[in-house]
Amino acid sequence: MNADTAKPGKAAGFLGRGPLFWIGMTFGTSGAVVGLVLSGAIEGKATAFTLMIVPLACMAAAFMSMLNKNEAGTGDCVTKGQAQRNYIKRVAVLTSLYLASFAALTFLDRLGDLPYAVRLGVGVLPGLAVAGFFWAIGRLILEETDEFMRMLTIRQTLVASALAMSAASVWGMLESADLVPHIDAYWYAIIWFAGLALGSVVNRITYGTWGHV
Amino acid sequence: MKNRLKVLRAERDWSQADLADRLGVSRQSVNAIEKGRYDPSLPLAFSIAEIFELAIEQIFSRD
Repeated sequence: MNADTAKPGKAAGFLGRGPLFWIGMTFGTSGAVVGLVLSGAIEGKATAFTLMIVPLACMAAAFMSMLNKNEAGTGDCVTKGQAQRNYIKRVAVLTSLYLASFAALTFLDRLGDLPYAVRLGVGVLPGLAVAGFFWAIGRLILEETDEFMRMLTIRQTLVASALAMSAASVWGMLESADLVPHIDAYWYAIIWFAGLALGSVVNRITYGTWGHV
Repeated sequence: MKNRLKVLRAERDWSQADLADRLGVSRQSVNAIEKGRYDPSLPLAFSIAEIFELAIEQIFSRD
């Protein structure tokens, strides 16, 4: 067997599916939730927040799939350097923080009138956890010693930033002109994360490998 | 840039993973360089040259 293309075994991915499937699911489910919100089929932030766990789970599955493929030697996905291991640990901690703080926010929201300071304290936590993801990606870029993989990560973040900022600019202008309904600003962070997945696809097409994130 | 990485590897019976381990980079990096999709930095090019015990210009050349 050619050493360049050695692929010992087909078993890889996550739940029997490869990264492309899970990335597609991330986009599909994100689009479905956005569609439901914009069409008015979903009322209330709590429902939208809860449903956004589905695309987040799909994104996590895509990541697991890439890792599993790499472990099995069946993919061109990621390398297992120290920077990557650090990144996975940080993302795992931040995801737990996000879910816990979001659960607390939803719970307190249902309790009704609470002091401003309590609402502020609990309300800011999920946002800070999401901000932590940006920090984790920044650390990954700083700590990565493999220059090619670092370049792929930077390309992903550029694609993500372009997508999120473009969406914010276009939607913001349309909103100012009263042509579209108002959406909360945290959606642009979600679009940014979807942009990371898109950047991964761009990397696969242009460089033959998905990249890290 | 063109390069002779694949030939040099084959002469030594090294896989891409073998070369990647020696360079301390991912196999994907070696694959991208070998296929001409990615031009390595000067420090990485020097590392490659040292591993093959050749001058950089004996491995890499302009298109």
